[in-house]
Amino acid sequence: MAAGTATRVYPFMPGGAADGTRLISGAVVLSDLTDKPRFGLKGGGSAAWLAAQGIPLPAVNRIGEHRGMRVLRLGNEDILLLAEGVEATLAEIKNGWQAAPAPKGYSSWREEGWAWMRLSGARLAEAMSSLCALDLRPQKFGADDIAQTRVGHIEAVTFRSPTGFDILFDITASAYFARAVAAVAGHADQHRG
Amino acid sequence: MNRLPAPFGSRIDRSRPVRFTFEGKFFEGYEGDSIASALAASGQWVLSRSFKYHRPRGILSMTGADANALVQLPSEPNAAGERTPISEGLRVSAQNVNGSLERDRDAVMDRFGRFLPVGFYYRTFMGPRRDSWLKFWEPIIRRKAGLGVVDTKAPHRHFDKTHLHCDVLVVGAGPAGLSAAISAAEAGADVVLCDENPEIGGALTYGRYDPEVLSGLASRLEALPNLKVLTGTVCNGWYEDNWLPLIESDRLHRTRAREVILATGAIEQPAVFRNNDLPGIMLGSAAQRLIRHYGVRPGTSAVVLAANDDGYRTALDLLDAGVSVVELVDPRPAGEAGPLETELRGKGVTIRKGATIEAAEGTVGNRHLARIHVGGSWIACDLLTVSIGQAPAWQLPCQAGGKVGYDASTQAMTITLSVGSVHLAGAVAGVDELQDAIASGRHAAATALMRLGHAVAAEPAVTPKSVRPRYVQPIVADAKGRDFVDFDEDLQVKDLQNATKDGYREIELVKRFTTVGMGPSQGRHSALATARIVADATGRSVGEIGITTARPPVGPETLGVLAGHHEVLERRTALHARHVALKAAMKPVGAWWRPYYYGDASSAEEAVREEILAVREGVGLLDVSTLGKLEIRGPDAGEFLDRLYTMAHANQPVGRVRYCLMLNEMGSVVDDGVAYRMAQDQFYVTATTGAVARVYADMLFWNADWRLKVDVLNLTGAFSGLNVTGPKARQVLKALDSDIDFSRDAFPYLSGRDGMVAGVPVRVMRIGFTGELSYELHCPSSLAPSLWDAVMAAGRPHGLRPYGLEASRILRLEKGHILIGQDTDAITTPDELGFGWAVSKKKPFFVGKRSIEMRARLGQTRKLVGLQFPAGARNIPGESCLVLRSGAPVGQITSVGYSPSLGRHIALAYVHADDQAQGSRVTVKCRDGELVEVPVVAHAFFDPTNARQEI
Repeated sequence: MAAGTATRVYPFMPGGAADGTRLISGAVVLSDLTDKPRFGLKGGGSAAWLAAQGIPLPAVNRIGEHRGMRVLRLGNEDILLLAEGVEATLAEIKNGWQAAPAPKGYSSWREEGWAWMRLSGARLAEAMSSLCALDLRPQKFGADDIAQTRVGHIEAVTFRSPTGFDILFDITASAYFARAVAAVAGHADQHRG
Repeated sequence: MNRLPAPFGSRIDRSRPVRFTFEGKFFEGYEGDSIASALAASGQWVLSRSFKYHRPRGILSMTGADANALVQLPSEPNAAGERTPISEGLRVSAQNVNGSLERDRDAVMDRFGRFLPVGFYYRTFMGPRRDSWLKFWEPIIRRKAGLGVVDTKAPHRHFDKTHLHCDVLVVGAGPAGLSAAISAAEAGADVVLCDENPEIGGALTYGRYDPEVLSGLASRLEALPNLKVLTGTVCNGWYEDNWLPLIESDRLHRTRAREVILATGAIEQPAVFRNNDLPGIMLGSAAQRLIRHYGVRPGTSAVVLAANDDGYRTALDLLDAGVSVVELVDPRPAGEAGPLETELRGKGVTIRKGATIEAAEGTVGNRHLARIHVGGSWIACDLLTVSIGQAPAWQLPCQAGGKVGYDASTQAMTITLSVGSVHLAGAVAGVDELQDAIASGRHAAATALMRLGHAVAAEPAVTPKSVRPRYVQPIVADAKGRDFVDFDEDLQVKDLQNATKDGYREIELVKRFTTVGMGPSQGRHSALATARIVADATGRSVGEIGITTARPPVGPETLGVLAGHHEVLERRTALHARHVALKAAMKPVGAWWRPYYYGDASSAEEAVREEILAVREGVGLLDVSTLGKLEIRGPDAGEFLDRLYTMAHANQPVGRVRYCLMLNEMGSVVDDGVAYRMAQDQFYVTATTGAVARVYADMLFWNADWRLKVDVLNLTGAFSGLNVTGPKARQVLKALDSDIDFSRDAFPYLSGRDGMVAGVPVRVMRIGFTGELSYELHCPSSLAPSLWDAVMAAGRPHGLRPYGLEASRILRLEKGHILIGQDTDAITTPDELGFGWAVSKKKPFFVGKRSIEMRARLGQTRKLVGLQFPAGARNIPGESCLVLRSGAPVGQITSVGYSPSLGRHIALAYVHADDQAQGSRVTVKCRDGELVEVPVVAHAFFDPTNARQEI
């Protein structure tokens, strides 16, 4: 399934499923990275194929790095590459994978199935505490840690980014998630000071 | 006015007067006042009427822990008047009064006490008939015995929940808690300190202590960024693994702490004597709280009952507040005078030793204390402060596994916790003196820090400098009664004694028989006295009697706090905006929003009819993106499906699509869909919208169990589905730019193809729910809007119409296609659906196989069939209406609707197995009770030979 000539529409774009839903900003900022490049492999052969390309694979639920990409090990045979700003590098790997013979794992379609959002802002920790039950204090949850958990009452994968927390979740819940985060930010405001 | 000048009144802001009403009367207080303190400042001492005898009650503890000061707010019943702040215009009223607080018609109950003996409830409400409790007594008691009144029209309030993690949680910010929190934080631990009061300090804020102690602790605390202080926050329970709910007004902090230090303090205990409940009789600490926190003079002429130093300090505080202390009564025998006693005598206060309060008397209607009886004579006074002892605040420690005991040598209630992550500090650990409490906080912190792996020096355990047995009031029932042990439940000494005479000797039974400790205070002021009374009456020790089990919550909590705030979960397909632009009537189906029909609500029926017509005669387009979509990949993919579904998939050719039916282990149908074999090692499987989450979870479960070489991926959100269906569907697809041959021979019914359509990579399956020529186009969701636009454009010359869920529902019903969950229930077997064809007889195993074979041997009792109502039938039964046979229910209607293609109503229904033949007539009971006879028809009402879907 090579990409065709058609236009891609993601939830927060005009004509997208969450079109019209506000992404909050201020003390809590929610930004949408869903259209940013990423590529995942899952199933038997995935890890071996990626390793054969010279991509160092971290332990499960840890994040590694390869040529500017973040390498998320979500399971033994479930690996996701996030390529914010290094699209060409990712395209190279993706093309190589498409051309390669099996066994090479299978696409996990994370770029289609998961929304990718980033929570940041001055009251980030407070907002995250409301959204997620995990202990995300810096000394407990480091820069290379991955939590596969629930955020805002829905299943999600979350981890730190330089400016906050990145959250991957069911793309069909995008509008809901933006609302849930806005509600939490509202509560944080009410309890200020 | 009973208001004292500054510096008394640490909580109030005298520059900000606040007006409110109580029982319809205007009162004025200051910002920071509680309802009770503002009323006391204005001389209003009666706050409520008691539960059973409707006796006037007032401030007892100033902690909000008992029923005495519960009040009704417009939208909140049972508000603790001693803790709830006043606000401008707040309307407060008394609870449990018949009429008004001042003129309570039920006050007469006080004279009929002897007709309400202990156990009255159990003895009386048993009869006379078996249903008397439900029909007669309970409604009366609900009316009579209620505390507050729920306001069903209360405005919405905002509640929320958040999570809090810390190394050490310290509950209680009194001297011990402050000292523990500071020690732990100074060692580098992440510490949370919570206290229910609006400020830190605990007893240091109202007791007679050097103010330097609190200010010293407070300045150390402020220098610690890793110490989070939550004042106005109640720790309302201890749960497994140190999970504790901290309630900060309308916010719940779900807290997980590695170590917990409970510095919950002690609860001052009332004395038991006749009329000990009169307004004007309060605990010594309540008088101190009124004076220091609120600047309220608790009376003008006081008698102080003091069996400990706190009582002597209270007397000195009263003098400072300008209260005339008539006499200090110390029940302990005369001994060496301590410094406090000397100071009091120096101020001219009479101290009477070895005496106690024998009774009190009230003003008219017992509205306030008038005089007390001591040593055979009456003393006039309007205030009696009681300081005779305390009990450790056992609620949280006991929930954390603490055991309550009794130290006979010191006559004190004790709490023992086993070694673990919960520690006690301060008064709750039995420590009396201020410096000992501070040291005990340090000790608890050091213990917790060591468990956390901090290198800290061990702190010695605190041993009190002087161990003096505490005073124990001998409790003797007054001949005339009204000597209350439990104020909430109006229980007197004789009530508890009588319970033991009735054979209820164990504390848990005494509690249930008498209701002692069941009121709002949950035994805070009665448990110790009860244990002593029962011990006396049964000839055992207080330790043997113990107290009743303490369970969370520690205090009342609102349902709003438990519920928190929830945004309604909502899932949208990638085509959501397209539907909205086409004026679709969007409705929620589970979490999904789906188009019901396209057009105005005023012409809904017409729109649905036209949509059906388009599919039957032209071409329609349905968004099927909510369908569950799963990819099964790996060398064992076929074997995996063979074991999960009833049909054969291992031998399914690549490029073919097969129906799949899933059973659970008891042989009931739980899901259906189709499986498209895309490659030898890859299947694309659909599941029903509502069941996919469960199907996916089941697949993961079985995959782990069977250890096949298979990977299961849920693509429900990643892929979108468009169903192009109708006699002209092929023409529309052929008009699109595509590398797929859509001709009948190249792409036959029940096959699948990969390719590109309008520049979009697609997986196309020739399947459908409508019975017409039908293609399902699945594509990555980000490209679905493009594909939709292309199909709409290509379809325009052919009259293509998007159609919604309602049309889809009728189209499938006309074909007799079932909906899992609507036409099936928890026990539906494939045979009952007539789906024997979908169950492989050759496979050695699939989930549910053994069960359906066993169930088949039991014989079939019902069958799902079609029912066709005559054209123009007047009374049509609804879904779930019963199918009767000889008057007995044998089945029910599962789906019903009007078929425009047939011009009549049709239904699917379970009927008796003997009635399944076409032409049988069955009886159905309509909603209005009318019985109608309907003929059974074959499942497919429309195009019974299924010719149309294969053109």
